[in-house]
Amino acid sequence: MAKDPAAIDALASSEAIQAAFRERGYIADRSIATAVFLALRLARPLLVEGEAGVGKTELAKVLAASLGARLIRLQCYEGLDVNTAVYEWNYPRQMLEIRLLEARGQAEHASAHDIFGPDFLIRRPLLQALEADPAGEPPVLLIDEIDRADEEFEAYLLEILSDFQVTVPEIGTIRAERPPRVILTSNRTREVHDALKRRCLYHWIDYPTAEKEFEIVQARVPDTPAALAHAVVGFVHRLREADLTKVPGIAETLDWAAALLALGTAELNGDVVDETLGVVLKYEEDIRLVRGDTARRYLAEVAAGT
Amino acid sequence: MHDPAIAATPRGEAIDGRRLLGEAVLFGRELRKAGLAIDLGAAVDFARALAIVDIGEREQVRAAGEAVFTRRRDDRPIYDAIFARFWRSRRRGWADERLPLEPERRETVPPEDAAGEAEPTPGNERLTADQDRAGIPIPTEGEDAGIEDAPDALTIAPDAYSRLETLRHREFDRMTPTELRDAERLVDVLEPRLERRRTRRYELHAHGRRLAPRAMFRRNLGTGGQLLSWVWRRPIRRPRPLVVLCDISGSMERHSRLLLRFIQALAAASSVKTESFVFGTRLTRVTRLLRDRDRDRALAKISDVVTDWAGGTRIGESFRDFNLHWARRTLRTSGVVIVVSDGWDRGDPRLVAAETARLRRNCHRLVWLNPLAGTPGYQPLAAGMKAAYPYVDDFLPAGTVASLERLGEILAGVRTEDTQRGSEAAAHVRNVAVETAPPADWPPPPTVRTPSPDPTVARPLDEGGR
Repeated sequence: MAKDPAAIDALASSEAIQAAFRERGYIADRSIATAVFLALRLARPLLVEGEAGVGKTELAKVLAASLGARLIRLQCYEGLDVNTAVYEWNYPRQMLEIRLLEARGQAEHASAHDIFGPDFLIRRPLLQALEADPAGEPPVLLIDEIDRADEEFEAYLLEILSDFQVTVPEIGTIRAERPPRVILTSNRTREVHDALKRRCLYHWIDYPTAEKEFEIVQARVPDTPAALAHAVVGFVHRLREADLTKVPGIAETLDWAAALLALGTAELNGDVVDETLGVVLKYEEDIRLVRGDTARRYLAEVAAGT
Repeated sequence: MHDPAIAATPRGEAIDGRRLLGEAVLFGRELRKAGLAIDLGAAVDFARALAIVDIGEREQVRAAGEAVFTRRRDDRPIYDAIFARFWRSRRRGWADERLPLEPERRETVPPEDAAGEAEPTPGNERLTADQDRAGIPIPTEGEDAGIEDAPDALTIAPDAYSRLETLRHREFDRMTPTELRDAERLVDVLEPRLERRRTRRYELHAHGRRLAPRAMFRRNLGTGGQLLSWVWRRPIRRPRPLVVLCDISGSMERHSRLLLRFIQALAAASSVKTESFVFGTRLTRVTRLLRDRDRDRALAKISDVVTDWAGGTRIGESFRDFNLHWARRTLRTSGVVIVVSDGWDRGDPRLVAAETARLRRNCHRLVWLNPLAGTPGYQPLAAGMKAAYPYVDDFLPAGTVASLERLGEILAGVRTEDTQRGSEAAAHVRNVAVETAPPADWPPPPTVRTPSPDPTVARPLDEGGR
């Protein structure tokens, strides 16, 4: 387990991580900061789960920024395979090379190594993460929405995440001198396999408290007047208690604040909510449920509560 | 064994590593007893984590343990409960409090759960459902009671109709215990043939329809880049995931046992992902319980866990729970949903209609098995059934083994020509929550299917099977 002095200096405790993240506009609570801290110190991947729009992907971005490291992102999807995730041979270039060798009359002297060498290897995100410059900061590897990939790919990840190495048959085993910091995210559209979970630290990100979400709005959409931010956060929290198909995440709160700001709204009232509800709620039946009287009732409740 | 002062040890000071490891292992063991999947590696990680976090601060230790030990959201309440005790006893020292967890470990379900049985009201339904999920008791060993007596307790239904003498067409609810067992064996040998879905993954195949450029380049490198041999690929096909929602309310009592058997047989088909739920007044996930290799024990466990056996039915609420909390995790829009229910429902038919519609939009195909539908002249008149009927792709009787064979065909996608497809059904269901009466231009509901006498369709199983 290679420990990295530089990173430990910068993010030496969970408090330091919280502070560093806050500086970059990411309000993390203590449990997230501790999970990240442990992932860094124990050199283990961190699997982050949570509802859509609670800042899972953002966590990797802010971690990379805090470490001054490169962020390498792999977006997962069904059918993702080694050729698009790890490496691929540049076949057209190999063909050209053969032609060139032929033209120069060297074809019979050329060995397989001439065309199956590192020059002809196309490095995909996972290989890039393993081959990063050993002198610099190890990159942050974000494997986004692992639940969208299929089981075959998950199984392949096991080798990479436990040994941080990849085997390319023609070249040999490529091992990371300093393992990348790995963050995996999942929306839980399916359960990630236990074998993969066992290799990771795990953290479930909840919706934030109203105070924390208010801070997030202020950090992310700084021009929002405090009163409006409170009203928006209060309303969104009321919506999360309602019986909706899909409750809004932090991303929706931020979008909404930005939208209201763009519209020049100073105060949240029933008409404004009706007009802009599509920013917050993404299902028609939810919008139908909330629009009109319900929205006004919620507004009154929020106003009474503050 | 333990110095209480350790809780106040500032970070950075030398810490007795072996003691930490001992504590970590002990804590891990308690968590495992409580039902979390913990291996020794996690305990070792925890010991390493304790060495680098501030072990005087509760929140840091709690978060560290959470990162190391929990693997899913549902683990969290259990973890928190055990941690609270761990922390308390840690302050006092384990030695003083001789394994305080031992006598209580069966109640490791979060404490608020005991009160969580209240009726879900519109306001707190989400909350209640969450508790329900977290609150599925951890199965305990050695409590195989209950279900064995079930067949004898069956009552004969007055509406059951049985004319054919062969076992295959006998209604289950008229069977003697011996016959019941035979029928169960028949169901067990039913090999489910399931509809397959094209995945986005490809395999090389001589009869594929698409070129496989990568493999082709590779193969033709030897000829210096002349593309002499062509290589083809085709999509890999996999069975669609299955989700079974089985009604276990009072009116279904006679059927549910056998239908659960059938679900077990389905789940045992190794290549198919099957998620199973039972519902009466509320929805319970039984997937893990049904996985038990001993099928009788699996059923016994289910009967332990489920609290609403043979009670009332609330189809609408149960479907709603499924749609909100499970649909995305289990179906991903490409799955097949099988509902087993007679449609007798005490709730609001409008809710049933709206939620069935939503369920239909969430899946690839919605199959409804109704034990009563085998009765000649059956009409879907029960309020819940009537409400759900327009959104069902395939409506099948489930009273006989032969009808279950038909289900195999439905699932194999053999008979798709006359089913109502998803987009059509979904297009008509948008405003259902508001409108009570369906508009006049609705497509006619699918016809009730009765077992076909055609031998090529309904393959008799009794010769091969026994």
